[in-house]
Amino acid sequence: MFEALFKYSRADYARSELVLAGDWPASFLYVLAIVAVVGISALLYMRRRHASLLQLAAIGVLQLGMVALVIWILLQPTLATDRLREGENTIALVLDSSESMNYGEPRSRFQAALESLSRALQEDDSPELSVRHYELGSSARAVDSFVDSRATAGATSIANSLRGIFEESRFSSLAAVVLSSDGADTSGGLTADELAEIAAFGVPIHTIGVGRTTIPEDIELAEVTVPDKALPGSTVSARVTVMHDAPASTHLKIYDGDELLQMVPLELGSDAGTTTEWIDVALTEAGPHRLSFSIDGAAGETELRNNTRNTLVNVANQEYRILYFEGEPRWEYKFLRRAVGGDEDLSIATLLRVSPNKFYRQGIDSPEQLQDGFPVSRDELFGYNALIIGSVDAASLSDEQQGIIRDFVSERGGSLLMLAGPSGLGNGGWGQSAIADVLPARLPPSTTDSFHRKKAGVTLTPQGVSNQMLRFDSDDVINAEAWRELPQVADYQLTGNLKPAAVALLNAETDVGQIPLLIGQPFGKGHAYILATGGTWRWQMSMPLEDQKHETFWRQMLRGLVATAPENVSLAAHSESGTGTISLRAEFRDDAFRAIDDISVTAVASHEDGETFAVAMLPGKEPGVFSGEIAPPQSGTWFFEALAERNGEPVAVSRSSILHESGQAEHFSFRMNPGLLQRLSEATGGRYFEASDLSGLPDRLRYSSSGITETEYRSVWDAPIVFILLLMLKAGEWLLRRRWSSI
Amino acid sequence: MLAVMLSALSASALGQPAPEEPVAQRPVREAPGEFQFVRLAYSANQYSRGGWGRRQMWQTDWPDAEHHFARGVDRLTRVEVAESGRILTPLDEEIYDYPWIYAVEVGNWYLNDQEAARIRDYLLRGGFLMVDDFHGTWEWSAFVSSMERVFPDRPIVDIPETDEVFHVHYDLDQRIQIPSRMYTYSGVTWEKGGYTPHWRGIYDDDGRMMVAINFNMDIGDAWEHADWPDYPENMTALAYRFGINYLIYAMTH
Repeated sequence: MFEALFKYSRADYARSELVLAGDWPASFLYVLAIVAVVGISALLYMRRRHASLLQLAAIGVLQLGMVALVIWILLQPTLATDRLREGENTIALVLDSSESMNYGEPRSRFQAALESLSRALQEDDSPELSVRHYELGSSARAVDSFVDSRATAGATSIANSLRGIFEESRFSSLAAVVLSSDGADTSGGLTADELAEIAAFGVPIHTIGVGRTTIPEDIELAEVTVPDKALPGSTVSARVTVMHDAPASTHLKIYDGDELLQMVPLELGSDAGTTTEWIDVALTEAGPHRLSFSIDGAAGETELRNNTRNTLVNVANQEYRILYFEGEPRWEYKFLRRAVGGDEDLSIATLLRVSPNKFYRQGIDSPEQLQDGFPVSRDELFGYNALIIGSVDAASLSDEQQGIIRDFVSERGGSLLMLAGPSGLGNGGWGQSAIADVLPARLPPSTTDSFHRKKAGVTLTPQGVSNQMLRFDSDDVINAEAWRELPQVADYQLTGNLKPAAVALLNAETDVGQIPLLIGQPFGKGHAYILATGGTWRWQMSMPLEDQKHETFWRQMLRGLVATAPENVSLAAHSESGTGTISLRAEFRDDAFRAIDDISVTAVASHEDGETFAVAMLPGKEPGVFSGEIAPPQSGTWFFEALAERNGEPVAVSRSSILHESGQAEHFSFRMNPGLLQRLSEATGGRYFEASDLSGLPDRLRYSSSGITETEYRSVWDAPIVFILLLMLKAGEWLLRRRWSSI
Repeated sequence: MLAVMLSALSASALGQPAPEEPVAQRPVREAPGEFQFVRLAYSANQYSRGGWGRRQMWQTDWPDAEHHFARGVDRLTRVEVAESGRILTPLDEEIYDYPWIYAVEVGNWYLNDQEAARIRDYLLRGGFLMVDDFHGTWEWSAFVSSMERVFPDRPIVDIPETDEVFHVHYDLDQRIQIPSRMYTYSGVTWEKGGYTPHWRGIYDDDGRMMVAINFNMDIGDAWEHADWPDYPENMTALAYRFGINYLIYAMTH
């Protein structure tokens, strides 16, 4: 209707500018308008005795309207529209050729995408555009046509692919991109930076979504998160996330190599989405452990490859060093040492101030260790992974020593645990010390006695439920019950308010109410904790001899402290799912954790089958840090060794390993992701289309704002609406005159 | 409390005479320290001759011994000490709140099976027992008779000179017989034929001493009579040092 009256569509008007193409001089039109107004007014004035003022006004308005319309026609209104110039622009058709496009629903997504792209072209009656074809995978690949295309790419990186297309089109006029995809990007999606970078090319990207957003018949082991390293005999917590679009019952099986470690029943709730479980996995032997997590398939499930995930956990055969500085003999000291005494992976050196004039050392490796008391140098303190400070006055350490403790946490990445005591925490003046910032609570002043020798019960906080350090049982309910049943601790200390980044993991039920008992927060590269009691020894003395909760708590607590502390020489390997490569990051620091400079680094990659090759390691922006990348030719376990040399002499060496599985990513997270495609289109000025409705796409291509354009002028003075109005004005006047016959 | 303790004693004494009357205690400090001296109240065995006056043998030297010793610990170490001691029987549940206990005149003690099991459990969980002031072959046999009920399979051994218990705070290289106050009258350091002092111990599987046995000596008297002008000062000092070493050892091992 609109088009019938106004000659062109609403979209035409929306994308065009209205200009006046008439050659009449403006002065002529002004004179014409004035003459018309004066003439009409005079004629009406002459008829004033034959009609009322209202009747004259009505006739005058109609006549003036007609004159205005004539002037409008004389001005020749015209639509000026920018459109792509024929034969000088290119449109990129991009077909997602990743393996997830093979999924049948029942027709494959790939077929639907092919068809949508061909329909986009057929419906395009625009001037001839040069068309380029690209297959999209981890990168874009130009092809002559899609005739021979197959969905075989083992990864999807939309950002990387588009970057490649734009780079290749730098010297041609790319008017628009049409991407047909399921949006299942395996590189981690599109970041805001990537979107901005793509939008900066100024080319609109129109996206066509294919596939289903929900697949009720599929259960997917979406994610398994396990620490990549652990201590022998420790228990690691695996965070298992299952994606499902319908309720189901299944089992999770965990294998260490070929050995079945656990089989855990999983109930997937009726709320579609994801279900997350924490599973504890005990790893006893040192060395790399290839863990396999597998869930039973649902009835009618066809894609079973996303039911299994493998990961590698390196159980390090090394000793972690802990320094425990205690200011007075007390039972907590004795029982803490006893609790971890049998843990061969933890070496705990203790410095106990027995009397004002005597320090007593235990667990030392040599007579020289700690012989001068608490360390006075970074080298000495940074050799430990964790530091425990008991009932110690802050004033017993110099400002320099307190500064080293602060650096130990923030720069070295060590863990600090402060214990309660008559001279600990607030009583010891730590709230006003150089490490006050490090601590997770604003300690009360030393003028207030915050230490109370009164028993208190202990409960897990919601944040503490999933904390590996506080696990007596893998079952959350049983674990919480075990904590509730623990004997009371012998004492407690008020910690003051928690800092914003702090998390309370345990609470104490005291005679003054519930107070935080175990608090932690990250600080710099490390972590700081407060255990606001010196009385966990009651757990050991008050429970049956065979009960191991006291030992378990302290072993897990101390293992948790050392596990997050980095080594001064490290090599991290990370599998990049989007590109299928493995990135390496080697860091070399001296004993005081200062970056080692003047070194060159070489790395060697070795496959479990024996294949070996060198990896180029380049210095990064951060001193002492080197990085490299390899495209592994095969899946499996890869071992890496980075060697730092100075003047040809070896300085340090670091090793790492990783399980690399190429071609697996496409079987996971393969539900259609319209959100990603919509964001991409919106950010670039394009539009998202459903494959079933591509109307509007040809127009958008024809009038793309990108590329080489020309202006098209189309007259609208001759639109039917103009003549209809003319007719209506004149007819109206005639009818009124007849009615009022006196005029 | 004491009434409960005494009733427990009477129930566990297997016909042996129980403490007859409550003994007045000094008031316990409101805020107990990290270390509180705990004296073990036990039943007497059939050979016990009884204590001084109306006292039981386990009350020997009470309360001055612990009072003086606690002051010494407070003055010579950084241990936070409760001013007054406590008295507990083997079957008191509270015994687990005090990982260091002292038993005197153990040549007179009798531990029935239930009490022996409790002491065994206490020690294996991490408790420490110091026994003192018993002399001669006859009292040794009486002591061992109950101790074997506690640990049938753990030997009593002489503590080596190199054991940390003799060096943890003070280096105790002198092995001098610490006498009772009778020495001030008689000039002899021995009693009941116990001419040679022995420092013996019972260890757990990890080599940690659980029981420190001071045989043929009277450390408790040396503590008790620290303020007696006639009692040798060097003996008191040595007794303090042994006691402190036992305590620091118990708090570190």
